[in-house]
Amino acid sequence: MKTPIFAATLAVCLIAMGLSSPIRADEGHGHHPSFGTPGKAADVKRTVTVITRDNSYSHEAITVKAGETVKFVIRNEGSLLHEFNIGSPDAHAAHQKEMMQMMEMGMLTPTGIDAEKMKMDHSAMGMKPMKHDDPNSVLVEPGKTRELIWKFTKPMKLEFACNVPGHYQSGMVGEFRFGK
Amino acid sequence: MNIVRMSGLGAVLVAVALTVLSVPAAAGTYSLTIEKKTVNFTGRDREAMTINGQVPGPTLRFKEGEDVTIHVTNKLDVDSSIHWHGFILPYQMDGVPGISFPGIKPGETFTYRFKVRQSGTYWYHSHSGMQEQQGMYGPVIIEPVKREPYRYDRDYVVMLSDWSDQSPHAILSNLKKKSDYYQYGQRTLGAFLDDAAEKGFGAALRDRLEWGEMRMAPTDIADVAGYAFLTNGRTAAQNWTGLFRPGERVRLRFINGSAMSYFDVRIPGLKMTVVQADGNDVLPMPVDEFRIAVAETYDVIVQPKEDRAYTIFAQSMDRAGAARGTLAPREGMVVEVPPLSPRPQLTMADMGASHGDMDHAGHGAAPGGGAGADPHAGHVMGPMSEYVPGSGLAPVRKAGEKFLVYGDLRAMRPYAGYRKPDREIELKLTGNMERYFWSINGKKYSEAEPIRLKYGERVRFKFVNTTMMAHPMHLHGMWMQLDNGTGRFSPLKHVVNVAPGMTLNVDVPVDAEGEWAFHCHLMYHMATGMFRKIIVEKQSAAANQGAGR
Amino acid sequence: MKGLESKTVVLAAGLIGMVWAAAGPSPVRAMEDDQVTTFVEVEQLEYRIKDGKESLSWDAQAWVGGDYHKLWFKTEGEAPVGERLEEAEFQALYSRLVSDFFDLQVGLRQDFKPEPERTFAVVGLHGLARYFVETDLAAFVSHEGEVSFRAKGEIDLRLTQRLVLQPMAEVNLAVQSVAERHVGSGVNDVELGLRLRYEIAREFAPYIGVNWERKLGETADLTRAEGERVDSFAVVAGLRFWF
Repeated sequence: MKTPIFAATLAVCLIAMGLSSPIRADEGHGHHPSFGTPGKAADVKRTVTVITRDNSYSHEAITVKAGETVKFVIRNEGSLLHEFNIGSPDAHAAHQKEMMQMMEMGMLTPTGIDAEKMKMDHSAMGMKPMKHDDPNSVLVEPGKTRELIWKFTKPMKLEFACNVPGHYQSGMVGEFRFGK
Repeated sequence: MNIVRMSGLGAVLVAVALTVLSVPAAAGTYSLTIEKKTVNFTGRDREAMTINGQVPGPTLRFKEGEDVTIHVTNKLDVDSSIHWHGFILPYQMDGVPGISFPGIKPGETFTYRFKVRQSGTYWYHSHSGMQEQQGMYGPVIIEPVKREPYRYDRDYVVMLSDWSDQSPHAILSNLKKKSDYYQYGQRTLGAFLDDAAEKGFGAALRDRLEWGEMRMAPTDIADVAGYAFLTNGRTAAQNWTGLFRPGERVRLRFINGSAMSYFDVRIPGLKMTVVQADGNDVLPMPVDEFRIAVAETYDVIVQPKEDRAYTIFAQSMDRAGAARGTLAPREGMVVEVPPLSPRPQLTMADMGASHGDMDHAGHGAAPGGGAGADPHAGHVMGPMSEYVPGSGLAPVRKAGEKFLVYGDLRAMRPYAGYRKPDREIELKLTGNMERYFWSINGKKYSEAEPIRLKYGERVRFKFVNTTMMAHPMHLHGMWMQLDNGTGRFSPLKHVVNVAPGMTLNVDVPVDAEGEWAFHCHLMYHMATGMFRKIIVEKQSAAANQGAGR
Repeated sequence: MKGLESKTVVLAAGLIGMVWAAAGPSPVRAMEDDQVTTFVEVEQLEYRIKDGKESLSWDAQAWVGGDYHKLWFKTEGEAPVGERLEEAEFQALYSRLVSDFFDLQVGLRQDFKPEPERTFAVVGLHGLARYFVETDLAAFVSHEGEVSFRAKGEIDLRLTQRLVLQPMAEVNLAVQSVAERHVGSGVNDVELGLRLRYEIAREFAPYIGVNWERKLGETADLTRAEGERVDSFAVVAGLRFWF
């Protein structure tokens, strides 16, 4: 789990850059997200293909079962960068703040990930490159397809959402329904 | 006001229906009647110029691709007109008397016919005399053919406007006689003593002398006062209310139909996600507050989750008052209205005078990103502000809050024809504050030659504001692509706010033949000369080749 | 006397005619940037108690025109209560905006009192000087060829948004002596005033104040020779209004 490193790096970075509101290493991104765990390919019984557009998902809701491991295939048919992130509404809210900072710092652009920018900016300050590599999330650039395997542990309020600034608010969010 | 509720399913059905029906174009016929009617916004009966008997006029709902026919009957005893603000249409249908057509004579009906080539939130208003100030304005909603890049459960127009019990002619006359007629927030002896106590007598005196030398007042934010601010034609006391169920997404279409008033808009307790500016989709931008210049539109989506009322609070930039509305789960619910923020005061930076070194980095603003600049450049600096560094007029951002700036506006779909402009036209915004008349490049409309543009060229308008007022510059018939440092994501606008002391560039893809109006949308600036006619002509093929380079 | 009245009538009729013309109906146009405005301002209409004597005095102006060109009228005078006019002058000027804040004014000035009457050609500069000083500078040449100058300045100091303290100063100079008008060459007189007005509306403001005048140089000598005082101090109360 690289989330704490990621969050801590980001926080240190932002403080170093003198930005006014450093983000918190949020509780939503702790060691063991209570909303499931990364799944193993061998356990996959079901594949769900989700198409992302500007700014919506092909699905308004996805039904899953507690204990089930699902492979999500995310195909971005839009012209903008999109995310498929599994989390609680609070976790999404926290992640949106991170994404906003990354956007403001140019690590993310409306249409993609600027890997160069990440390396350049932060190696210069003697820091590790930042990555958007939370296991519960994938970023999908326009025209690309990415996969995410997730094991749902127990029924709860869970959403899949795009936390690129403004996308969640304009409706790019859906809920997981726990079936029997 | 009309209220449209659109369920997710309904939206899908409409989208499907539109797609299926898009081959035989829709054609709608609408009728508008302009007439005088008594209104009462202040406790006193006054005569307003109304459209279909109401202020604002009815919300017109068009569909992208629709061939609209609009019959406008003038029952006034003076000429009138309707201009379709922000519309891309044949110039004869643009509704500017003396430029697009002769106007609509008393008793006559004029029929507008045009194809709707765009979607989003727009508005319409009279372009005759100063009738707009007297109540002649209304919203237009254009449904897109394609699915919109956002989802919402409810949709409300929030049209802000300023009503005066004085006739616009009396207001203009007062301004001509005493340009500070409406300034009841001037610096007094008491303010001087306060300043002296705070900064020292010498500093306070120097400050007074600096302003005195220019014969300007830092408190001069708005030219006219005494307005009742309206939300959808309701006063703050009448409290326009939009209903929602907790958890629903609500689209609010803000339109500033004021004659003279900029507003700072917020909804305490709610983030607003800006999804459209001037009718064009932008990359969604969550903000806590935004400023809407006269004649601009902004669409935002909010998601009130609690079972309580929220106040839509739109205070005028000079803090003379506020338009107010409420979002509530049930009719009649209210929540406390916040107090007005302190009045802003202009600074020497707004005067365009460089008093000492200006601290560019300190304000995180890099004015004028420049077309073709790296769209990522300036990110570390923060998005471009439309105010000069150190401006006293720049919105005050509260700690931890986001106030929309022009640099935040990025087109949802990058403009295909984005390229370096073929030529640049410098437009100095000028005026005489003391005698109260306004101009462009030192010339009033009646003294100036039209601006001639070549069809197919891309022209940069470089606005240089030499005055101490902010000017919402409006181009008819063609888009202005605001150069805000985001390159090909630069948003298309029909009105740009050019702040005091600011140089702001817009690129105009010249794609509409004919004669167009171009002016400051502050009523009394337009009426006293800050106006130009723009003529767009097709060149011969040979000439065109040369110009294209 | 007959001549005086007829002139007054002519001038008044001219003024009314222009007001009428300006206030008439105009067609609706998209642009009204060359509109005509009519302005009448009675800056001072006041009652003075001066050295125990009462008098009424006025100072008024009116203009009609557009942003660049105007017809401009000015009048001032004083009449001791129960007596005949002591001073009365009227100016009719063409006024042209020559900078952001100043008008160049040329025209005629008629002094009805004190007698004998005089007619002057006027060239002046009227406007707002730095530090918000309302300034009126004028040079006069009488029909007898006498040259004189007048400078006047006033400033509005806002104590509150409606309570305004207005200091003013005026100085008159003459090149030649005109004994019959009690005018000597050089600086003739200075006048200082301080008025405190309350703007019930912008258009309507009652005021109180003080006014001090002092004749100087040769003019003072001429005045003393007449057995009159060379300085006077007045307490004033009056009304400022415009429309």
